[in-house]
Amino acid sequence: MKIEVSTHDKLNEKLNFAKLDSGLNVFHIPKKDYVEKYAMFSTNYGSNDNKFIPVEETEAIEVPEGIAHFLEHKLFEEPTGNIFAKFSELGSYVNAFTNFNQTSYLFTCTDKFYENLEVLVKFVQNPYFTDENVEKEKGIIEQEIRMYDDSPNWKVFSNCLKGMYHYHPVRIDIAGTVESIKKINKEFLYKCYNTFYRLENMVLVMVGDFDFEKALEVVNNALKSSKSKGDLNIKRFYPKEPKHINESILEERLQVSSPLFNIGFKDIDLGYDGDMLLKKEIETNILLDLLFGKSSELYQKLYEDGLINNTFGSQYIGHKDYGHSIIGGESVEPKKVLETIIKYLEKIKINGLNETDFIRIKKKSLGYHIMDFDSIEFIANSFTSYYFKNASLFEYMNILENISLEDLQKRLEKHFREDNFVISIVNP
Amino acid sequence: MTLKNIRKRIDEGVNLNLIVTDKFKSNLISIYIVRPLVRSEVTKNALLPMVLKRGTKNYNTFTDIQQKLEDLFGANLSVDVTKKGERQVIRFTLEGPNDKYVSGNNLIEEMIKILNEIINNPLLENGSFLDEYVNQEKENLKKKIESRINDKKTYSVDRCIEEMCKNENYSLYKHGYVEDLKDIDSRKLYEHYLTVLKSSPIEVCIVGDIDVDAVSNIFVENFDIERDKVIDIQRENVLKEIHTKNLVREEMDVNQGKLTLGFRTNIPYEDKLYEPLLIMSNILGGGPNSKLFMNVREKESLAYYIYSRVLKYKSLLIISSGIEFSNYQKTLDIIKEQVEDMKLGKFSESDIRQAKKTLITSIKSIKDSNFSLADYYLSNILANDYRNIDEIIERLQNVSKYEIVEAAKKLSLDTIYFLTKRKK
Repeated sequence: MKIEVSTHDKLNEKLNFAKLDSGLNVFHIPKKDYVEKYAMFSTNYGSNDNKFIPVEETEAIEVPEGIAHFLEHKLFEEPTGNIFAKFSELGSYVNAFTNFNQTSYLFTCTDKFYENLEVLVKFVQNPYFTDENVEKEKGIIEQEIRMYDDSPNWKVFSNCLKGMYHYHPVRIDIAGTVESIKKINKEFLYKCYNTFYRLENMVLVMVGDFDFEKALEVVNNALKSSKSKGDLNIKRFYPKEPKHINESILEERLQVSSPLFNIGFKDIDLGYDGDMLLKKEIETNILLDLLFGKSSELYQKLYEDGLINNTFGSQYIGHKDYGHSIIGGESVEPKKVLETIIKYLEKIKINGLNETDFIRIKKKSLGYHIMDFDSIEFIANSFTSYYFKNASLFEYMNILENISLEDLQKRLEKHFREDNFVISIVNP
Repeated sequence: MTLKNIRKRIDEGVNLNLIVTDKFKSNLISIYIVRPLVRSEVTKNALLPMVLKRGTKNYNTFTDIQQKLEDLFGANLSVDVTKKGERQVIRFTLEGPNDKYVSGNNLIEEMIKILNEIINNPLLENGSFLDEYVNQEKENLKKKIESRINDKKTYSVDRCIEEMCKNENYSLYKHGYVEDLKDIDSRKLYEHYLTVLKSSPIEVCIVGDIDVDAVSNIFVENFDIERDKVIDIQRENVLKEIHTKNLVREEMDVNQGKLTLGFRTNIPYEDKLYEPLLIMSNILGGGPNSKLFMNVREKESLAYYIYSRVLKYKSLLIISSGIEFSNYQKTLDIIKEQVEDMKLGKFSESDIRQAKKTLITSIKSIKDSNFSLADYYLSNILANDYRNIDEIIERLQNVSKYEIVEAAKKLSLDTIYFLTKRKK
């Protein structure tokens, strides 16, 4: 086992890496003087992975919606009881989350890092599903789903995805529905677990002031299999998604004080991963900031017209097989906001982007990126999600520095079209 | 670990707190203006930072300010008002990268200058704030106050406290009241602001890899504020006998019921039982291994979330959870039983040990966040508590089971609030 070290002088950060014989890749970003230590054990498996060929089988199966998230809940259960007690005994904080593309288990601690690490690595490798404990979880997750049903920000976003996508599973809620989770049983859970929780499909990212070699020793001892089973070729199936949008206007009523909206632009330039994907992501986010950010002409106009307030914001999310920009906020007249945005985009396309603004926003993006490294949670989370996209957080700065105004101009033409946007509104 | 803290008085009632550490890549400046929480000014105070960030004498518009901040490599301005007991704190925070990471040249001086512009050099016309800015921000504040219902979790906790403390200033909503907005115009607001600037206690916290003398000098030179006699803000009253228990039911179009219980702890934060109370609350509902989580969620599958939390300045303890409407009574019974068990000392030494460790971890972790550090120093100043982190940890470690039970025994249930679905 060899340790690779890379240094990143501009950030004053270091990255340690080792590939274990078991097939697991382990990364460490040492944050000198930080009191907290953080470890995140993740699998490249999220709510989108609903159709696949289970390990050692030949036929594809379709599993109930929300199962990746259900599995995440159930992994905390051990034959001896709940794993929370062990972390609690160590005074650490444990949590987990599932998104469309990954599931992560994490802890933060200030003391006894190696003991915590051992518990984390062991419990994630130790599924214990029984008919009884699976049934019990349904009530809890039902309440989680209902909590989200009452969250207007989540609803408006979730409906926006449904508007953009016809078939892609990103249109389905991560937790599934109250009906779909009723179909989940321990057999399904084991199939998902055995397929996706193989070490070759996982990554361990650790951040904090501790010894990497000692941590590797702990991990190696805690791993069940010491030898990689070789190449991993999980067959996942996603429906073919058309480029055009599904539904252009989606409205729902909830108990809110004034309308909330999400405008979504569906990305039609897909298929990249690695640096190309990272470049597209950074470009699009700079572009969004230029067009809709707090210093933009549009923001000023909408704000002064009383059409938006300081909740107005935008973000691009990009993956190999899907991507979208979301522009959201609160407004008394969301449709007028959309109308103004569309006219504004037409104008910008004709007049071109402003170079002074571009240089300034690029400076800002650089500053934000550097300041993000003050948060160990940020480092672990974004390192992991870029890793699963075959990209590296430590390439971000280089790519950012090389982005030109021409790149943005091209992206503007490609991404903001007349036929790829939707608006989702939650009305009072 | 190198963490140095220096506190300096720079003017009547204005203190500069410098927290020096080289582990962050950014510098953070937080300016806290402290006001009493009273109905007559709560809405005005909430409006102030919103109007101030609209424009200054040298940066007339919000856009000008934002562009300047972007030019400083994305210095990030955030303003708000918070409630710290019966005080309303107006906060201005600016965080920007340290020079050495972005080839900047004394960015911290530029940051201090901008904050000074926003606070001490607002854009004026005819000797008061701009009508246009004030009117627009009144409308924005109105929407903000009304949007309180959007987040049902926070709303149910706020409402429980509001009902519980209805005859006390602590019940006031930090963003104020829609009906109070109509009496506010640019002149009245500006006059109020002049009083605020002259008379409020002001705490400034600067966190980062800074040169103490240089930065204090820059601050003193650039922050020109006129001061008068500083107001004395009374400590809130926290001891209250409960004669009638409140039962409040509110209906809305919701998918999940929110059950919130408000207790009087009857333990002021100066009391030696305060740390035992924190441990008690942690055992009861501090995390996934707590009594409430284990019994309400894991055993009975009644909820996804349930927690208990101590509100330091007002000596309250809140328990909150999201449940199926029909499970109201069942959940309430379990919560009451768990609270009763705490009073009877039905918890183990291992529960105590775990709770202590969890609390100590979270206190130690403050050192890893510049924002938390600034906020922590402010909290201690407001509480006249000048113990350092290590002393607080030592106190937590010394708490006995007897003290935890004593703290639990002082709890008295005041208000039960239930947000439920509208009857069809």
